[in-house]
Amino acid sequence: MLRIVLLAPLLLAATAAAPAFAIAEDHTIALAVTDAGFDPAEIQAPAGSRVRIEITNKSSAAIEFESFELNRERVIQSGQTVSVYVTGLDAGSYAFFDDFHQERKGTLVVR
Amino acid sequence: MIETLLIVWRESLEAALIVGILLTFLGRAGEESGIRYVWGGSAAALMVALFCAAASGSVMAELDPDTQEIVQAGILFVAVVVLTWMVVWMHGHATGLRGDLERRASAAVATGRHLGLAMIAFVAVFREGIETVLFLWGVVAQHGNVTALPMVVAGLAGGGLAIATAMLFFRGFKQLDLRTFFRVTGILLLLVAAGLLSSGLNKLIGLGLVSPIVPQVWNTSWLIRDDSVLGSVLSALVGYRSRPSLLEVLAFVAYVPPMLWALRRAEHPRRPAGDGRPVPRAA
Repeated sequence: MLRIVLLAPLLLAATAAAPAFAIAEDHTIALAVTDAGFDPAEIQAPAGSRVRIEITNKSSAAIEFESFELNRERVIQSGQTVSVYVTGLDAGSYAFFDDFHQERKGTLVVR
Repeated sequence: MIETLLIVWRESLEAALIVGILLTFLGRAGEESGIRYVWGGSAAALMVALFCAAASGSVMAELDPDTQEIVQAGILFVAVVVLTWMVVWMHGHATGLRGDLERRASAAVATGRHLGLAMIAFVAVFREGIETVLFLWGVVAQHGNVTALPMVVAGLAGGGLAIATAMLFFRGFKQLDLRTFFRVTGILLLLVAAGLLSSGLNKLIGLGLVSPIVPQVWNTSWLIRDDSVLGSVLSALVGYRSRPSLLEVLAFVAYVPPMLWALRRAEHPRRPAGDGRPVPRAA
């Protein structure tokens, strides 16, 4: 039983890791954060694809890119660029915000 | 910050019980001179654990963003393993603890090595301290945006509750049932661990390293919003998210039932076959 308990996560990890590398091309979107907010405030992506949102924090302080609708959160220090991946989204609009400065809001529109 | 309170309460209580057992033993053995060594060892352990917490924070800040995120995911997985081990496999340990500690303490007293007493206290408190640091790093990694002040407040409250609980225990307060305390907090901590496991996987998904399998299995935001009070409490206790991916759900479901079962088994161990008891004869 113990062995099964220990093996289960490994098997789970293997199944999860496999398709991540099978998809060749990412749809990349550049997104900046300035002291005024997200730039651009609306970004777009095709439905079903693997999307890489490349976020650059051009503001003077740390931010947290967060979205309940995308199930993502990521702290980004001032001056840093990080990539946040979202995969296989249905058409619709997905709100995101900066959790450290909640007046900064944006939307990802998936078509 | 409810999980911080829970973790610090339980870890500090374990450390406080050990220190309390040593002090009680020395008081009973009339070895009052050893008492300050026990306090000295405990205080040193606390300081070294705090130093480790501070040092690991500055090491983290040196890493590049993606490495930091991977290290945080790693911390979450290590925290899950240690938390599980502590809750499930250390379960029966509280009962055997007193005898073992008293044996080692009396050996230290008999040979006149009071530094040995300090070492016993140091090792015991340091272990709980490092576990606390690891779990609190897990909490920070899970939520990302944890501000220091509420965490310090929750930590101090947890520490205070632990000291109060330990004092009640040593005063012989009859209503206090530590077995029940450890069982209830054990179940809660297994749920916290399941949440840490899911959020470690969520980080790897966000880094594009693993697939979510299905990005969104369901959407319960109409029922419990992520930013509501209930949503935050559930997020702290079980890693609640209104729109989880299939991988996170699978990890949670694969973890919780076997661990609850293992905890139950640890509480009611079956007697090994042939343990020397006479076999009841059939009437």
